[in-house]
Amino acid sequence: MVLEATMICVDNSEWMRNGDYSPSRLQAQADAINLICGAKTQANPENTVGVLTMAGKGVRVLATPTSDLGRILACMHGLEMGGEMNIASAIQIAQLALKHRQNKNQQQRIIVFAGSPVKFEKKVLESIGKKLKKNSVALDIVDFGEEDDGKPEKLEALLSAVNNNDSSHIVHVPAGPNALSDVLISTPVFTGDGEGGSGFAVAAAAATAAAIGGSGYDFGVDPNIDPELALALRVSMEEERARQEAAAKRAAEEAGGKGGEPSSKSEDVTMTDQANVSSKEDKKHTDDMVEENDLLKEALAMSMNISGTGHSAGDTEMSEATSADQELALALQMSMQESAGEPSSQTDVSKVLEDQSFVSSILESLPGVDPNDPSVKDLLASLKNPSEKDKEEPSNEDK
Amino acid sequence: MACLHDHSCEDHDCSSGWTLYEHIDLPKVSALNEAVPGSVKSVFKAWEQRLNSSGLKFKRLLIEIQFRNKKAHWSYFLLQGHLESNEGDPELLVYIPFTSDVKIKSISVVGGVDGTSPSKMRAFINKEGIDFSDAQGMQAVQEWDLVENFQGTLEYQTRYSKFQNVASITLHFPNSFGGDTTKIEYIGFKGEATKLKRDVVATIVYELRPNPSDHKTKAEGGGLSHVE
Repeated sequence: MVLEATMICVDNSEWMRNGDYSPSRLQAQADAINLICGAKTQANPENTVGVLTMAGKGVRVLATPTSDLGRILACMHGLEMGGEMNIASAIQIAQLALKHRQNKNQQQRIIVFAGSPVKFEKKVLESIGKKLKKNSVALDIVDFGEEDDGKPEKLEALLSAVNNNDSSHIVHVPAGPNALSDVLISTPVFTGDGEGGSGFAVAAAAATAAAIGGSGYDFGVDPNIDPELALALRVSMEEERARQEAAAKRAAEEAGGKGGEPSSKSEDVTMTDQANVSSKEDKKHTDDMVEENDLLKEALAMSMNISGTGHSAGDTEMSEATSADQELALALQMSMQESAGEPSSQTDVSKVLEDQSFVSSILESLPGVDPNDPSVKDLLASLKNPSEKDKEEPSNEDK
Repeated sequence: MACLHDHSCEDHDCSSGWTLYEHIDLPKVSALNEAVPGSVKSVFKAWEQRLNSSGLKFKRLLIEIQFRNKKAHWSYFLLQGHLESNEGDPELLVYIPFTSDVKIKSISVVGGVDGTSPSKMRAFINKEGIDFSDAQGMQAVQEWDLVENFQGTLEYQTRYSKFQNVASITLHFPNSFGGDTTKIEYIGFKGEATKLKRDVVATIVYELRPNPSDHKTKAEGGGLSHVE
């Protein structure tokens, strides 16, 4: 919630025609800038953002710091590319624009998108940086596009001259499949200094991850949107893996099989810890898991010594953890068993739904639904053969 | 213009006059070109502590401020009890708002040793958001040539008529006595505080269209109101 006035310096030089950041470097910048404006305004409604272009005929201020997002959007539209980027004057003019901001209580920040080669000497950049530091202006640098010899070093030197107490940051974005704005979302450019704007950033991250098709998540289900389903899927996966391990161990030696179950739970805990996304809903579940970690260690120790009592302790651990969604977990287990043969690269949720036993077990738990009802049977049949018309009907019926 | 204390301080209480530090709005004090952000707050203390640079008195306050900003360097403040400018640049600008309007009679500044004391002081009154280019260009309300004053016994008198309704004062120290940085241990103000508060107009209601019901006068109650 830092009150901030930000000036964004856009690189609209000839180098921005390149398409290595889709659809073009300039468009990628425009998208990133729109997201940044949204993030800043959401963090604090009194924040203001302004835009200037660094190349073209000369440095030109398109919008002075304003909280009106529409104005920023409008001026990003129809930008022309040409010329060379003049980073030194751009930063100085940005500083001047910030100096004349309406609300003097706002902190000053400049965000520079450095996509083309930097033709200035390191010394010049350092003196500019010192001047910014003296007037307590923070600077964020996005290094993308052209990878010049010495460009990263020059920008790092500029950053260290400006940096006061870690309020300034630099991000190097190489060309790749991910869009520029997606990469920036997880950086301090968006999230501020660890606070503020993080709500927006998390929501944006979730949206982009879902758009990518769940490639960022293990089971194609976003923990932000549906934490219980994600958790249940993860739990069942672990149980299945553990059972397979136990079966393998049992084949090797008799006693090791009983230690398999408690160890599977500890694996689950570690996996939960590792896959901990920065979402609040997920945190709740992991906290529950971690609290039982101590009990788990006892169980493990006991199981190593006395297999009989260890087994029972491990069993109680299992039941405690899954008591909340025990039915769901069992149901998923069944479905996992059936589809264990085909290693499902397709982790689509609809695929799981197609499994009739799973669906019927879900329907049993729903109040007021009789699995033998003809309309429900029709629904099940239609889910097996997904067609647009049929899907609309059952979905309406469901609601 | 400076007065020198050439009597022993046991005769009368020297610290009685230097009470304006209580009226400083400490959370809003800021400085430009300070090496450690926030260290400027340690410079305003009671006259008795002016030579005490450990800053322990302000421990709780400084931790509270830094904790709210979630910065992890609040332990630094336990040791850093003075204001220092950045390496190689002895210029300093200190903005001091008061909680109520004050009249300032004189100012005392204790600098650092080895040439790090400030050599000149320029004051601006009731101007917010001054930065270095503004300070260098503007005419100051008053300027003083300072001398090295390690004991804090020197005070610099003000032209009292100009310092009557001070809501905030900005002190600009352009140079030091040859040192690489400028260090300030203590800044004290002598004067008196009024209970008045100089405030900008906080809430203004604008009318887009006049509404007669908002403008009823007592004489025109009941019956048709006639708007002219």
